[in-house]
Amino acid sequence: MKLKTYILMRILLSIPMILIILTIVFFVLRVLPGNPVLAMLGPKAPPQIIHAMEHQMGLDKPIIVQYFIYLSHIAVGNFGTSSYTSLPVLQELLQKFPATFELTFYSMIIAVFIGIFLGSYAAYNFGKPMDIFARVYSIFVYSFPVFWFGIMLQLIFGVWLHWLPVSGRSAPFMIPNHIYTGVYTLDAILNGQWDVFTDAIKHLILPSFTLGVVISSIFVRMVRSNVLLSLSSQYVTAARARGESEKKILFKHALKNSMPPILTIMGLQFALLLAGAILTETTFSWPGIGNYLITRISYRDFPAIQGAIVFFAFFVAVISILVDIVNAWIDPRIRY
Amino acid sequence: MSQENSLEIKNLNIEYLTRSGTVHAVKDASFSVAKKETLGIVGESGCGKSTTGHAILKLLPSNARAKGEIVYKGRNVLTMPEKEVRHLRGKDISIVFQDPMTSLDPIMRVKDHFLELMRAHKPNVKEEEVIQTASEALEAAGVSKKRLDNYPFEFSGGMRQRVMIALGIALKPNVIVADEPTTSLDVVVQEQIMEVFRHLKKTKDMSIVLITHDLGIVAELADKVVVMYAGEVMEYADVYNLYKNPLHPYTQLLLKSVPNIKIDDMELHHIPGSLPDLKNLPPGCRFYDRCPFAKDKCKKEEPPIFKVDKREVRCWLYE
Repeated sequence: MKLKTYILMRILLSIPMILIILTIVFFVLRVLPGNPVLAMLGPKAPPQIIHAMEHQMGLDKPIIVQYFIYLSHIAVGNFGTSSYTSLPVLQELLQKFPATFELTFYSMIIAVFIGIFLGSYAAYNFGKPMDIFARVYSIFVYSFPVFWFGIMLQLIFGVWLHWLPVSGRSAPFMIPNHIYTGVYTLDAILNGQWDVFTDAIKHLILPSFTLGVVISSIFVRMVRSNVLLSLSSQYVTAARARGESEKKILFKHALKNSMPPILTIMGLQFALLLAGAILTETTFSWPGIGNYLITRISYRDFPAIQGAIVFFAFFVAVISILVDIVNAWIDPRIRY
Repeated sequence: MSQENSLEIKNLNIEYLTRSGTVHAVKDASFSVAKKETLGIVGESGCGKSTTGHAILKLLPSNARAKGEIVYKGRNVLTMPEKEVRHLRGKDISIVFQDPMTSLDPIMRVKDHFLELMRAHKPNVKEEEVIQTASEALEAAGVSKKRLDNYPFEFSGGMRQRVMIALGIALKPNVIVADEPTTSLDVVVQEQIMEVFRHLKKTKDMSIVLITHDLGIVAELADKVVVMYAGEVMEYADVYNLYKNPLHPYTQLLLKSVPNIKIDDMELHHIPGSLPDLKNLPPGCRFYDRCPFAKDKCKKEEPPIFKVDKREVRCWLYE
């Protein structure tokens, strides 16, 4: 099968996947106690007003009818309007997304960097202090609760040392003049506003470091075990027998051959983070998708929650297709 | 010894440190390979022949401890700094491994393997030069140069071994170590690969260290033979005399165990017993348990090397 056909197949296959996720979320939300009307009006609202509002929002129709109405809307890209803000859900999601993307992107850079280098060198120095350090590091960091680690960093670098801001994306008025992408660091560069850029970076350091370090533990372990396996292969000894330097043996042969499974995990992790690093965003009051979802759940904002979930499922699908393409490019034996 | 030797191995001792104890893989091995000569190292599995072969390029795993001398161009490879050994590998001494299926990097084209080999020794070598050298080497090993752009998975086992041989001879090394180059291949392909070695022996000026358990191959290609058993050199002689008149009981039994269709002997001979535990060696001769001529002395004292008209044999029979 050609790569093009494969990609097309994967895209078609992700439609039922998204549909299944959507269906589950739709019914679970409606089976659980509470609905947007009750959440908005409170427990003491008179029943006739509740009924009137439920009728207005279509919540009095049978669930199955509501489901098909929603599906027919989603099919044409209509995510509905939020029952909390009355704004289009898609517009809200697209507005929150750049913040999450920015945080995720910088966190991934930190995590991938730590994962690749610490993991590779640990594998290369199997059983030596470097390896022991990497193993202790990954177990230690893996067991950190994200919010606890975030709060500790806020305490040290924000409260005690006053080096970095502890919450939000920017200081007041430190917003790019013209928003092109919504990613502040990128917009600031496009606008040439260096003070805004520095401010955005300062706000990014603590949350992205928190998230990056916590995720890096999985990457370190993944890279270490896969590189360890590659290093014991005959082709590594054969490369050494050709006079290749140890650095090239580690990175060009062992690491590169280990990349497909590592990339798969990294890609999925990236997709998961795009879906909102909920704890990190809450800890640092980061105005991203994770925060959005948490708020809307408490308001039983059905269209917003459903919309956010479809949005996430979409990213997981897109990124896993991208990972497959990159893997096929690295390893010529992978053919679809 | 004389200046004509391209490789000299003196009192080589190799141990592997493992969790369950120290494995004495090679003990006091001494032999030499003259220029253009083919030396066969024979013995059964686990007797230390591959360990010896890998030690020549200092390719032993990190838990191995090697002592003694491997002299190449007047210098001991074992004590050479890693960086200098690196420049010998592939250029002065090269190796062909037992399993061609896993010896090539699966994500690199054949061309890239040659590129890597040549860049390692000449950092700014031109690509045309690499292609030129690679084509010649591949041609000599029986692979069309059209296949330079192919990936290893597009080759059969025999073809991969030819590529490995081509990589081994590309930079015209003085010594090539062939570590059981045909063991994992089927008989027809084995013969084809041996044909490549025959051709190399005739046409190239290099010494070959041929590690194998196939006595037929050794008889045909080798000039001298080292017979190893449980990490020790049991007999070291020129090929003609070794086959005509094997001295060591192990060599005798080994030669007898080769099936021969010419004589009317339908029985398949084998050597009863198995190798001693290399972690816990008996005090006497290592072949004591399996030797038909074993004496009391053999059990108590380990035999040294005895010289019998220019041949070497480790057996009390020749005291």
